[in-house]
Amino acid sequence: MEKSRIMVIDDEKIVGDMAKMSLEQEGYEVETFLNAEPALERLKEKRFDVVVTDYKMKGIDGMEVLRTVKRDYPGTAVIMITAFANLDAAIEALRGDVHDFFPKPVKIKELKASIKRALEKELAAK
Amino acid sequence: MKIEQKLILSNVMYGVVIVLIGLFAFDNMNLVMTKLRFVEIADDLNASFLVMRLSEKNYFLHHDRAELNDILQKIEQTKQSIQDVREDIVKAIGSDELARLEAYLTAYGAAIERAASHGDGGPDEEALIRIEGKRLKEFSKSITQMERGRMNDIILGSKRILVISFSAILFVALLLGHFISQKILRSLREIEKLAHSISEGNFNRIEGFKTKDELGSVITAINSMSEELAHREEQILQSKKLASLGILTAGVAHEITNPLNNISMIAQTSQEISASLSESDHLDLMRKIDAETERIRKIVKNLLDFSKPKEAHPKESNINDVIRKTLTLVQNMIDIQNIETVINLEKDLPRLFIDGHQIQQVFVNLVTNAVQAMQPGGRLYIASRHGKGRESVEVTVMDTGKGIPPEYLPHIFDPFFSTKGEGGTGLGLSVSYGIIRNHKGEIRVESKVGVGTTFTVELPVQVRGLRTDEVIAPEESETVGKA
Repeated sequence: MEKSRIMVIDDEKIVGDMAKMSLEQEGYEVETFLNAEPALERLKEKRFDVVVTDYKMKGIDGMEVLRTVKRDYPGTAVIMITAFANLDAAIEALRGDVHDFFPKPVKIKELKASIKRALEKELAAK
Repeated sequence: MKIEQKLILSNVMYGVVIVLIGLFAFDNMNLVMTKLRFVEIADDLNASFLVMRLSEKNYFLHHDRAELNDILQKIEQTKQSIQDVREDIVKAIGSDELARLEAYLTAYGAAIERAASHGDGGPDEEALIRIEGKRLKEFSKSITQMERGRMNDIILGSKRILVISFSAILFVALLLGHFISQKILRSLREIEKLAHSISEGNFNRIEGFKTKDELGSVITAINSMSEELAHREEQILQSKKLASLGILTAGVAHEITNPLNNISMIAQTSQEISASLSESDHLDLMRKIDAETERIRKIVKNLLDFSKPKEAHPKESNINDVIRKTLTLVQNMIDIQNIETVINLEKDLPRLFIDGHQIQQVFVNLVTNAVQAMQPGGRLYIASRHGKGRESVEVTVMDTGKGIPPEYLPHIFDPFFSTKGEGGTGLGLSVSYGIIRNHKGEIRVESKVGVGTTFTVELPVQVRGLRTDEVIAPEESETVGKA
């Protein structure tokens, strides 16, 4: 079976690095990006099952990533992580059909569980 | 209440003097009228004497005894008239002179009677008549002339005195008025200057005006108002600081979240995949954790420094020296970025009473921002010159960088406001702002998107009341570190 592909977008390099290390151990294929622009370009080339993105970034931010993914790649789940955890952000993301929403500091175990649920949902939808 | 008293007093004085002059004039007028009355009477008397003289002459011509009787009658009439107006005559010439007049009149009458009773008057009697008559008339005439003269003198004297006293009053009034109003105007001018400087935010006092009158109390009131305003301003500054502390705390909380998350994720990952990590991998992760804690340390330190006031140690400094020191500090950054610098420092600028280290920090901040806003090959322009009215010194730092959009300009000095993303904490300009304000100076910005930005720092030549316990400054400039 093809490995599930996870994309991680966060302007903090360590987030991507640690997520990659942890998620690769689960058997996922992980690609990390520090900005949303190259990430969205990459999405055009290759299909990803889950996109984990930071909420607040310079340039294209998390909400725009969410909208773009939901519009162009409806089968791809989006998980939002953020240092900026307030209710309005959460509601906005919820309404944008985000799969899950994690305030920083992120519990990697919970992230993994959420990714697993997203993949299962996608599988069920197919 | 001294001015009010002075004014009342001077008004009362004027009143009294004017009343006195009025009384004097009135009195003189009465005197003149009395003399005039007498002159009237005298004229009548003289007319009577003329008639008597005429009769006298007729008698000498025709020796008609009837003429003598006429004269005697006339004399009685005259005596009667004199009786009638005795008071007025006495008022005018005094009772002695009146007695003399009456005596002469009586003597004249006696002479006429002698002539009448002796039948045909001999030459002796005629001579007597002539003599007495002459004496009478001359006396009367001389009195009359004298009184006329006196009357003239009185009128003239009155005129002169009135003119003199009115001039004197006018002069004194003008002089007094001038002095009083000058004093008031002088005090008012001081008050106006003070009010003006208070409105500009300089809470000075007027010293040395210890008068105990209304102006003195106004000045005392304004002084205490000025103190109160300075006190209020400090309170406002404090509450503003508290407010920005709130913003700061929120900003810091936000800033800290990322390094904390990084540390957390490293720790979690390190535990999870520990087995698959080599020794060097573990060490690498520990190093990363260390770096993140250092990040946190800096952020917390900035917050502490912002909330903890740092004293300014001002001394006389040459602003151009400070600028040159700044340039040596940032020269490396400027060269790396390939920035062309144009320096234009005006000579013989007045020395300023400033904390050189802090002002240098401000310039480093401004130059760093300028360089970071530009692409390689941009131009940095630094100039110093006299400020308005030579009461201040201006330093401009201008770049040809990307500029600041107009909607950001009002917030440019707010704490945590940053257009640089990862590049800064956003504290540099707010700290610089605090330093310049503490030196009683001004820092202004002008910018055009795509053209460039100019920061202008204006520092006063004379600084009174430099607050040395309120200045905020981080010990290390994080913006220099980033460069």
